[in-house]
Amino acid sequence: MVSNRTKDEPHRLGHDVFLDEVHSFEFWFQAVEGYLSDHPYGCSRTPVVAEPEIAESARDGLITTLCNYCVGETAALEAASSMIAFAPNRRSKIFLATQVVDEARHLEVLLHRLEQLGVADPEAEVDLRANRSLLAFKRRLLELVAARDWESAVFAQNVILETMEFTVFSAHIELADPITAEVLEGIIKDERRHMGFGENDIGRRLMDAPHIRARLATVREELDPLVLDAFEETLDQIGVPRSERPDLGRRYLSSVTRLGFDS
Amino acid sequence: MSDFLSAYSIQNWLESCPQGYLLDTEYGHGIGEKESEAIASNSTLREESIRTTVQLVVGERCALAASSGLVNAAPDYPSKRFLATQTLDEARHVEIFTQRLYDLGVKKSELQSTIDQYANPHLVKFAEVLLEKVDKKDFVAGVVGQNIVLEGLAFSVFEMLHATSAAANPKFAHTLAGTIADERRHVGFGENRIGSLIKEFPEKKPEIERMQKDMTYHMLATFSAAFSGAGAAMNEGRRLAAQAEEAGIPSSEPARWHGANLQTASPEEMEAVLADTVLGEFKTRLSRIGLEYQTPSAP
Amino acid sequence: MTDPLLEEEVGSEEPRQRFVLDETGFDEVPKKYRRFYRKWGGPTDTLAPNEVLCPVCKVVIRSTRELRVGDRVYCMPCMSRLVVAKSASGLLEAIVNYG
Repeated sequence: MVSNRTKDEPHRLGHDVFLDEVHSFEFWFQAVEGYLSDHPYGCSRTPVVAEPEIAESARDGLITTLCNYCVGETAALEAASSMIAFAPNRRSKIFLATQVVDEARHLEVLLHRLEQLGVADPEAEVDLRANRSLLAFKRRLLELVAARDWESAVFAQNVILETMEFTVFSAHIELADPITAEVLEGIIKDERRHMGFGENDIGRRLMDAPHIRARLATVREELDPLVLDAFEETLDQIGVPRSERPDLGRRYLSSVTRLGFDS
Repeated sequence: MSDFLSAYSIQNWLESCPQGYLLDTEYGHGIGEKESEAIASNSTLREESIRTTVQLVVGERCALAASSGLVNAAPDYPSKRFLATQTLDEARHVEIFTQRLYDLGVKKSELQSTIDQYANPHLVKFAEVLLEKVDKKDFVAGVVGQNIVLEGLAFSVFEMLHATSAAANPKFAHTLAGTIADERRHVGFGENRIGSLIKEFPEKKPEIERMQKDMTYHMLATFSAAFSGAGAAMNEGRRLAAQAEEAGIPSSEPARWHGANLQTASPEEMEAVLADTVLGEFKTRLSRIGLEYQTPSAP
Repeated sequence: MTDPLLEEEVGSEEPRQRFVLDETGFDEVPKKYRRFYRKWGGPTDTLAPNEVLCPVCKVVIRSTRELRVGDRVYCMPCMSRLVVAKSASGLLEAIVNYG
């Protein structure tokens, strides 16, 4: 008999019931309601925060950073949507559908933030300022998706890309103006689901089929330099002191380490 | 183009759908609502409800595959963002109709075998014609197939089912009301976005019209099979309604849809009114975007 | 791994302390689950006996009972299943259980 005090305790759910619950539209719907209602374009309606004064050079750096976040979000939008077709089960298909709309929302709020910063044509600006390594990462990710290689695509997108974004956005929030910080906070709340899905899915698959480890290690070898290059450039732009970077690097590497890859 | 597409933003979608008409719902219906007792306790009605719901799951799975596959093929960001919202709408529909199968007593372990058993083969073919275009990343044909043909079909079927269920099964009617609201956006996007693209790529017309003809053939064959097998369940429903009336339970107003009395119409009349409505909608919508409706051979 | 569905205060185990959970302002999961999670305050944040940190997404997971080594908990914000273990420093920590 479950008492009222423990009613709804998630830790009491069977694992299958838990997965059904968290990968459902209903879960997504009730979760985002908590932090997106009354937050048009990722910002709270009240109190209205005035656009902060930003020095021209800092503003330009912020625009480049946000443009590159858009590249990452577009890569995730295009990859996640195409992965639905070959996702191995209904649960994963529905979860990916929620991720697709999350990624599209991220792209939208970031483009909106660029407009607020005075960029006349944000989409054109993204093309102009895109980091080459990030574009190369996007191309490779979409190749893995086109090859319908589920494990490699989840690993590249939901583990490598999402963990990098989670780490960079968390660091950026500490240094950003209040409006940008609030937009990024909302994005991070979504990223928790995405990277958790990726790590747990790949973790389960590695246990069931250890031979895929070698294939994923190759993917990682190929993508790591691209991610780290983009990572370094963004940390420069947002002004993260060099002394803090090893710690951020460790945070980025923690998920691949948990999955048993050398860091 | 960009002005019209700004109405299809994620922000608008969030405010109108999750924060709008879906607030305080679970699986698309009111919290705690149950299937009607008549369906739950009558094996003929229950089986027919399962059969109907399976077709909805099959259609929505196709829509999910198509809308997600089209994100990558979309030529501009606003279209990608709209299709992202449609992807999630379709995933929600898959989920709520799958949940209805569970509510009707289908065991989770038997979900796929139930779908395999009841799925209409013509509906499966209908989906294959569309998904072939999506696989080829043909955005214009894919959107016509998905947002005009498939969504136009779904829109009318949902409306008819809604009219049939409004009094007899409010839970299902509420579930359908949310999906109808979603479909409005989808058909709207299809017409508004594709109109300009058809003008831009007139050479694509014959191929798209051929696809529409094939899809329409399989749709009509699906209707034919569905209604030819529905007589027993319709009679059973009417028998129970008459029995209830005799017992003094007041009957509801006759459900009417596009001029037909759904409580007295024969299966053939129901099939005719549904087919006429859907085909009429196809013709109107296709001509608005510059395509000519192609009549298929009779199934 | 101790499955709370199967295990209810059995045998020789010391009775566990019980906790009433209040809302903490955490807003990333459906309402009914929100009190089971809270934001982590960083390395100086002291965890209560019914709390453990999710290593995947750095959210504090809470239970209505004192947690012990071997307990299973779920992190809903990142959808992970975890097992409570003792860290090298002697404190409770959560380890992801993929299997």
